[in-house]
Amino acid sequence: MSTEVTAAEQPVTRAEPVRRKPGRDWTSVLLRIWGILVYGFLFLPIFIIMAYSFNKGRALLAWDGFGFDWYKTLPDNPVIRGAITTSLKAAVGSAIIATILGSLAGIALARRPGKWVIVFMALVFLVLVTPEIVDAIALLIWYVRIKGPFGPGFAVVGDNYGLLRLWLGHAIFSTAVVTLIVRARLAGLDESLEEAGADLYAAPFTRFRQITLPLMMPAVLAGALLAFSLSLDNTIISTFVSVAGASPWPVYVFSALRSILRPEIAAVSTLMLLLTLIALSLVALVLRRSGDSAEEVAKTITGAG
Amino acid sequence: MKAPRFTLAIPAWILFTLFFLIPVGFIAFYSFGYKPFFLTGLTIATDKLSFSNYGDALSGTFLETFKGTLQISILGTFICLLIGFPFAYWLAVRVSPKWRGLLLGLVIVPFWTNFLVRTIGWRILLAPEGPVSGILRAIGIRDAPLAVLDTRFAVQLGVVYNYLPLMILPLFVALDRLEPALREASKDLGASRWKTMRQVTIPLAMPGIVAGTLLVFIPLSGDYITAAVLGGAKGNMVGRMVADQFLVAQNWALGSAMAMVLIGMILLTVGLFALIGLAARAVIQRNRRVTLQEVPA
Repeated sequence: MSTEVTAAEQPVTRAEPVRRKPGRDWTSVLLRIWGILVYGFLFLPIFIIMAYSFNKGRALLAWDGFGFDWYKTLPDNPVIRGAITTSLKAAVGSAIIATILGSLAGIALARRPGKWVIVFMALVFLVLVTPEIVDAIALLIWYVRIKGPFGPGFAVVGDNYGLLRLWLGHAIFSTAVVTLIVRARLAGLDESLEEAGADLYAAPFTRFRQITLPLMMPAVLAGALLAFSLSLDNTIISTFVSVAGASPWPVYVFSALRSILRPEIAAVSTLMLLLTLIALSLVALVLRRSGDSAEEVAKTITGAG
Repeated sequence: MKAPRFTLAIPAWILFTLFFLIPVGFIAFYSFGYKPFFLTGLTIATDKLSFSNYGDALSGTFLETFKGTLQISILGTFICLLIGFPFAYWLAVRVSPKWRGLLLGLVIVPFWTNFLVRTIGWRILLAPEGPVSGILRAIGIRDAPLAVLDTRFAVQLGVVYNYLPLMILPLFVALDRLEPALREASKDLGASRWKTMRQVTIPLAMPGIVAGTLLVFIPLSGDYITAAVLGGAKGNMVGRMVADQFLVAQNWALGSAMAMVLIGMILLTVGLFALIGLAARAVIQRNRRVTLQEVPA
């Protein structure tokens, strides 16, 4: 079913003379006020964290004058540096796993349908509806039980077993997400382009590289970004499966919550937010260069496309 | 020889089986076990299986926590929908396309600050000596310091805040796909704004409403961070209760049973709402006065 307006109907919409300009009637005014209020609500705690990162005092929650003190001490804090490095390593690794596995599964779902699709989609659905806390305890018990590369003293992995636990732990949910995004993108695209490629005697791999891959690229990129940020943000699974010495940033914050919260946490968060915004602007720029409209770019980045 | 059709999905299949199905299967199995005598040094025993953990999980304060969590989750999802729908409508329909991309991007910015840190931001805001309390006292709405931290209210506010973007995005996608011509046609045919909203916009945005509701409700019911940061003793949620059984009480059997009940609670609620939704749709379709027919091409 297509919702597109056919050529015969188009003059009617064109002929309509008065298009209400936004912002002229009372509903538009109310909606705009609502919009501003919602943005205020969404950004309030973030601004407060930014403001409190300049707190000179020793405790985050008690304001004690303005200063850059905590920014200055950051570079000398090996624990925080280690936590952020672990977070980035975990995010890159799990995003790579999720993007590859999810894209492959997405292609198979969209282009190789069969009875297996029902079973697989049921599994994906199950992954998505299972609360993270259940995943977390289940994984912890599982890792402890199977040991091998997920426990200490395994030859190839060595001391990196904590990282391996995070990679796979974070990749489960994001693989399901990438699968759905890629499948949706390919399902919305006509397969005739690939068939035309086949008719013109393109080998299967050439067909994939020159037709399918470029077509699904926005979805893959969106999926990768989403997987990366889901991993960076993940607190629950990380709290349970990470090991001392290789615990990511949210785990550090969570344990600080139980002892004492220092403004350094706000300082790191502010810096990380700025870095992400810069990185995202770069991605947006690349996408715009490649011809997407601003709205398409935003949709790709937010995973809403 | 031809590869089977699911070949490309095999790696994902392996990941899901090894690191999701089997581990969660163990949790299901453990929920029938029991906590061995502490001197044995073991955390779980499964030589005698019984339903007794389920009885424990569904009684006393644990049951209260389940009820409280269900209330917080349903109310939280509903508030997200109430806040999110007008907002997404504004963004998708009223904002000029020039600004839409940027404004949509802004919705997601909170996601780039860690979940935990955002919630801590609310801890600062709502503190008795914090900014909100100060403003309320300065303009004379309250005389005493604000006392909402470590209550159910704080948790409710926190979850609405944390999951709102998950409601806005699918709503935006659904409303954005909606042809403006359909709404205009409705107005041209004499329908009032409210009627257009009720009979054209909302029904067509249904997939977005359903997606947003699921995206918010499911993680919200299992949330444990928000309750841990803002809830104190009074604002407990199931997620935190499960975590405590594993991290503090070391009762894996009871914790596993609670986890199973949590999954059951989520599936039941989602199923119930799906049924209500289907029934409502059937009623609406029967009462619709104008039936549209396919026009032969």
